[in-house]
Amino acid sequence: MGMTITEKIMARNSGRDSVVPGELVWTDIHSVMTMDYLGKTCFDKFKSLGKPEVFDKDRVICVSDHLVPPPNQKFATMLNEWRDVVREHDITNFYDLGRQGIAHQIMVEQGHVLPGTISIGTDSHANTYGAAGAVGNAIGVTDAAVAMATGKAWFRVPQSVKFNITGKWQPWVMAKDLSLHIMGMMHWNGHLLYKALEFTGPAIDSLSMAGRMTLCNMTVDLGAKNGIVAPDKITERYLRNRTTDAWEMIASDEDAKYDQVYNIDVSDLGPTIAMPGKLDDTQPIEKLIGQKFNKAFVGTCTNGRLEDFAVMAEIMKGKQVHRDVNMILVPASQTVYLEALRAGYIETLVEAGAAVDTPSCAACAGIHTGVAGDGDIVLSAGNRNMTGRMGSKKAEIYLTSPSVVAASSIRGEITDPRTFDI
Amino acid sequence: MMRGTCWVADDYVMAYDIIIQEYWTSAIDPEDNSKWVMAGVKEEFNKENGFKENGHTFIVAAHNFAGGGKSIEHVITGLMGAGIQAVFATSFARLQFRNAINYGLPFVTCDNIDKGCETGDELEYNPETGLIKNITKGTEFQSVPAAPFVAEVGEAGGLMNYVRNKIAKGETIE
Repeated sequence: MGMTITEKIMARNSGRDSVVPGELVWTDIHSVMTMDYLGKTCFDKFKSLGKPEVFDKDRVICVSDHLVPPPNQKFATMLNEWRDVVREHDITNFYDLGRQGIAHQIMVEQGHVLPGTISIGTDSHANTYGAAGAVGNAIGVTDAAVAMATGKAWFRVPQSVKFNITGKWQPWVMAKDLSLHIMGMMHWNGHLLYKALEFTGPAIDSLSMAGRMTLCNMTVDLGAKNGIVAPDKITERYLRNRTTDAWEMIASDEDAKYDQVYNIDVSDLGPTIAMPGKLDDTQPIEKLIGQKFNKAFVGTCTNGRLEDFAVMAEIMKGKQVHRDVNMILVPASQTVYLEALRAGYIETLVEAGAAVDTPSCAACAGIHTGVAGDGDIVLSAGNRNMTGRMGSKKAEIYLTSPSVVAASSIRGEITDPRTFDI
Repeated sequence: MMRGTCWVADDYVMAYDIIIQEYWTSAIDPEDNSKWVMAGVKEEFNKENGFKENGHTFIVAAHNFAGGGKSIEHVITGLMGAGIQAVFATSFARLQFRNAINYGLPFVTCDNIDKGCETGDELEYNPETGLIKNITKGTEFQSVPAAPFVAEVGEAGGLMNYVRNKIAKGETIE
């Protein structure tokens, strides 16, 4: 019987010819990521396992992203302890302040994720790695410590669900809109729990790596185990200058078995918004036109990439952010920052009145740069909007795409970029 | 056999509310994490030992318990530190389901359990058969028994011990 791409990857990395959903396997791990606020605990736990060295110093990836640059003494001290422990273990790939980015962006952008392999990280959005044709999985510090010691992790092989995406993307409609649309369609009620989500079809074939990363990133918020796009020419072009490791094309068999198959035509998909409080309460933008807000935020592992900055710069060029809106933009990595600078996007956006901050997770986790206060209404291109997510429990967060945030920030109210005069 | 009272949750108990934001960067420590566990779930729990002082042994919940996509293990250690010995729900979010297995805290999937219990009911759970008895109401529920690997990790006292034992014996993990 045929296998899905996720099943193939699980089989291949556990030394089996085939696996079936429900089977429990220990697989090889291509890379394991941990970051500043949990990393020391990972290394402490690793040490307690009785192995003198990590399984591969090149494949334990350490990133400073949640706490940098430190906004207070507590974080500064935590960062110092983190640096000490990374140095102690002589880790090759340490992306500390100055070379940093959001860990998931770093993992893909710096070539630490390889098609056909499995990478894990101690942060929930590790699902992002599926964009590169890998199984990317979020795990806790215990699994990370075990993987650091053994190069392995346990998995129950998930059932796969296929999303066949067809049609032609409308102007200014982004992968984020598809993510939010699927969120509204599937809800959090358990249907996609533990499932492997496979995105395929003509509208995925034409989607950039940035878009694929957004799509796979938010599969964790659907409760899924992983999200994956099979590697193709776009993947190959993206990875060409990022890794020297050998990899091969891998895809689902034609007779692979799926728990469910969903067909979505993006020709009908417009900008989509998640209402404050619940990610799966989504609405088409038409229902929210004119909704006022006072803070705009674009960044995060979901939408802080070069493509997102390009879209915003195109919409905002020569215009001014509305006087009642504070707009904060945070590139997902130093590399993205530099590329956006060179392309002139940052200049355009700063001229328009947006504030640009150092690459980090920023306000997304509510512990850093640009947190929300009482009464704030935030229009965000991040990934979560639960009460209190960005700081105050008395703030509201609408989630949407960078193009909607850009057009809306000019008007000072939710605006459809398709009808905006650009 | 485990026995004690239960606290019954609503739908959508999120990991976020089990451990609220200001404690995400705390050390992972059952005693410490348990002081503020569930602080975001109900106003009455939003004080030091607010949940713990009720002395419940079990949590009963509906769909997607500990969802919302947070991978931090404080959620599990906080519940364990508060004396929780098992959580029964119709479904669990995968990140915390995995963490629970790794810590040997039974996260037990059981249909309809949420409709058959009230806070304060006395329950009895047999991990070997998966049978959950509601002593107060005189009813029974058959849950999904733990998979062999999960039971093995539980018996070892969690994944760390399981792997540590293997490494000490020079055994490979497969």
